[in-house]
Amino acid sequence: MSEIVTIQQAVMAEDEKYASRIRRLMRDNKILMANIIGSPGCGKTSLLEETAPKADFSFAVIEGDLETSRDAERLAVKNIKALQINTKGCCHLEAHVVEKALSSLSLDSLDVLFVENVGNLVCPAEFDLGEDFKAAVASTPEGADKPLKYPALFAQAQVVLLTKVDLLPYVRFDKELFLRDVRTLNPKSPIIELDLISGVGVEEWVSFLSDRLRRKRAHVD
Amino acid sequence: MHELSLAEAINKTIKDLCERSAWARVRRIVLKIGHMRQVDPELLSFAFNVVAKGTVSEDAELSILELPIVFKCHACGKKIGSEAMTFICQDCGSTDVELLSGMELTIESMEVEGRQVL
Repeated sequence: MSEIVTIQQAVMAEDEKYASRIRRLMRDNKILMANIIGSPGCGKTSLLEETAPKADFSFAVIEGDLETSRDAERLAVKNIKALQINTKGCCHLEAHVVEKALSSLSLDSLDVLFVENVGNLVCPAEFDLGEDFKAAVASTPEGADKPLKYPALFAQAQVVLLTKVDLLPYVRFDKELFLRDVRTLNPKSPIIELDLISGVGVEEWVSFLSDRLRRKRAHVD
Repeated sequence: MHELSLAEAINKTIKDLCERSAWARVRRIVLKIGHMRQVDPELLSFAFNVVAKGTVSEDAELSILELPIVFKCHACGKKIGSEAMTFICQDCGSTDVELLSGMELTIESMEVEGRQVL
């Protein structure tokens, strides 16, 4: 005889416990946590490298990659505190992995924690790491059709970053279409255009972060 | 391929529940998955079959109820079902919309058999 047992439990309930613990840890330490998501090569690490000289806040980075510690090494050269996680084939970071990494990171006098997720527009969008917000990064050479092709990320991102705008004269990228599509998915979040070679847009990004940090701290106090 | 992570999470939840209540076999697991979650039901079933090998859920059928995206527009009051994730009211153009359905990702129930007497 078979029997039906009612469960009604979130599939990711176990991992959500880790995410909640991270969120509490960030709140108690008054740290703003941002989850940076974008394709491989879209400029996530460059964004963090260029953030350092202009930031009026201290920050550390948790780097997620399948293999190698190249990104953490790149950041270390710029005196940015970075910790590498190798997911060994897993296409996204999950909260339990991030919590483990956090145990070896000093949170003292830290203002902002960035998690640079594995380069991927699909899976990282589905996992809560306990962050304050997700940032979607897209670069012009990828093409303007990415928001509608990967809608979950662009719909929930609280800031959308368009990188490599210096390449606009050389690549086929319909910026109007990109902006319009982002707006249909996400009518309110700011869209920041960046050229990380000359530094265009970095100040706007830094002031977005400073503002979010200020608001979080005002809320916590 | 976040389906593999979801399959592992489902398998662990079911395994723990069965151990606690001493069920010998799971025949069916019912899931509710909203369209916003970008889950491919076929991939999820395939991944689940792989991770469930050798557990109480081996050969269990995943029954997936796919739920559409439904918005409520606060400007015109209409409820809108949508295939796409457009956060703009297709009727009045307002962006003051609230998501009512589409983010579900839950294990609803399981059909089990062979309760062991402890």
